[in-house]
Amino acid sequence: MKGGRHPEPGALERFVLGELSPLEMRDTARHLLAGCPRCQEITAALWEPADVFEDPEALAIAEVSAEDAAYDAVLDRVFEQVAAVESQLAEQRAAGRRLQEELMQCPAERRHLLLANCQRFRNRMLCERLIEASYEACFEDPRRAVEAAGLAVEVVDRLEAEDCGGAEALAGLRARAWAHLGNAFRTSFDLPNSEAAFATAESLLSEGQIPLAEKAKVLSLLASWRKVQRRFAEASQIFDRVAALYKRLGQWDLLGRTLLQKALVCGEAGDGEGEMRLLRRALDLIDPQSDPRTFLAARHNLINALYESGRVREAFALLYHTRPLYLQAGDRMNLLRLRWLEGLVAFGLQRTDQAEAAFREVREAFLELDLGYEAALASLDLAGVYAAQGRGADVSRVAEETLRIFQSYNTHREAIAALLVFCAAARLDQAGLDLVREVSAFLKRARNNPDLRFSAPS
Amino acid sequence: MSTLDHPQVESSLEGFLKQVRPRLKGVFTRYRIPPQDTEDILQQALMALVYRREGVRDPEAWLLGTVRNKCLLYWREQRRRLYESVDAAVLEAVAEPVGPDQERSHLRHDLAQVLERLPERCRSLLWMRYRQGYDPPELAERLGYSPSSIGKVTTRCLAALTRQLFASGICRRKPE
Repeated sequence: MKGGRHPEPGALERFVLGELSPLEMRDTARHLLAGCPRCQEITAALWEPADVFEDPEALAIAEVSAEDAAYDAVLDRVFEQVAAVESQLAEQRAAGRRLQEELMQCPAERRHLLLANCQRFRNRMLCERLIEASYEACFEDPRRAVEAAGLAVEVVDRLEAEDCGGAEALAGLRARAWAHLGNAFRTSFDLPNSEAAFATAESLLSEGQIPLAEKAKVLSLLASWRKVQRRFAEASQIFDRVAALYKRLGQWDLLGRTLLQKALVCGEAGDGEGEMRLLRRALDLIDPQSDPRTFLAARHNLINALYESGRVREAFALLYHTRPLYLQAGDRMNLLRLRWLEGLVAFGLQRTDQAEAAFREVREAFLELDLGYEAALASLDLAGVYAAQGRGADVSRVAEETLRIFQSYNTHREAIAALLVFCAAARLDQAGLDLVREVSAFLKRARNNPDLRFSAPS
Repeated sequence: MSTLDHPQVESSLEGFLKQVRPRLKGVFTRYRIPPQDTEDILQQALMALVYRREGVRDPEAWLLGTVRNKCLLYWREQRRRLYESVDAAVLEAVAEPVGPDQERSHLRHDLAQVLERLPERCRSLLWMRYRQGYDPPELAERLGYSPSSIGKVTTRCLAALTRQLFASGICRRKPE
């Protein structure tokens, strides 16, 4: 027969798996090349194109019969090994906690010496704890965040692959430590160092194999950094890569979060429609039961985007349905954000009395909490209400109060410059609603970008 | 608004593994991973999970997604190896210095028939490779590809050729 004898039983399977000798491979390929229908039928059954598997729905409904025990022995063996590793890790985690406490009790200059010279600080869990500490400190104390991430980088540089369960895991941890250092520098407005740290993280990503989940986390921080730099197109592209990774990993909730973050990029880039589209997709993916805070954040942003795009009635309706979620969250910040949004929507519906009351309340609360920037933004919204009503004296008074708030917090030079322009216009009774909005929008943009310059309207 | 992670990891690893076991078997069965190759995939995925469990909110979804991804990579790697083997086998067969004329003639005829069913771009590339002995840099130059992309293009064409070898049923069967 053309192409020679049929291959031996089992040879076709080994051919598909590339396990035959070169000579056998050649003979089998030659046989198939001749178009033997019988063998083609067998190989086709053995060989599935990978594409047909890429259907999560199909996978979800896969059922395995009880008698399918071919994998049981493997699963038993691996589970046993993993349980042993898990038990070791639990000890390491406890050790990591202890080491972190010990490290942080030392004076700052001694910490680096300890890490450099003391072997027991070569601990992966210590690195994880420091990264986590850095991330949490970003919201409260950016300098502490930089310190913690810097220490994490020092720890990871002394780790070996076997400390982390493999070279891939170590590479992922290293890239993540650098990305968190970049993130910490960003929150403390040290932009050159932030860029340098992110550049290192990015180069580490391209150097070697990194677990996909780690890659997604690093890229997500990088995308947020690009957003702060106002490199919106790049930020969007990076978020797309993150979304693709989470999709591949089947992490639908994290995909939802990523869309929520990407929506912020669209919002800042002035693409309100794109922002709302992404927020709706994010809301479809985020589970309100398991992650109510993120779900509420997405709803909050959607209401805000609706308000910003002039769809005030839709914003009002959605706010009505979302109110229980704010109350359920219950913490003061979320309740203040609810009140602030109520003020904005009321203002959009021209219910100026309600808006004024809400903005006053919010401003006082932020001042009480020592959150000067938020208080100033709420003050500007209040000034907007007065400007819309033609209450020039009140606008002027609020403008001066806002300036004092900023000066007392000694924040952002350009923000103060913008407020000085606003005060000057208010004194001359020339601060209309447009100027209020312009200054408010500038303050929101400039918050994470001290290099931004305010240009006074002509 | 903050979007911090809130780990919700099954506190008992034993309970978690018991719960996820049938689903894992489902994935391996579905992807038809030979049991002897399952161990590496599962071990890598589970080790990654236990090492970073504090950062994983939904460990079951994470593990199944990771295993699924590794299964896909497994088959991609197997495919790549098969394409290379098919390529080497065909190159060796057409370059065989000795052999009955009739057999060589059959081989050329069979190869021509298979190549005939490929897209034009692949037909030209593989024809030049198998019948005229061009190596990748020469192929890039002759066909107008950049040297850096010729490898990918060749792999795609080898994939098309391999599919043709299994032409009788390659796209007919889908997972039940």
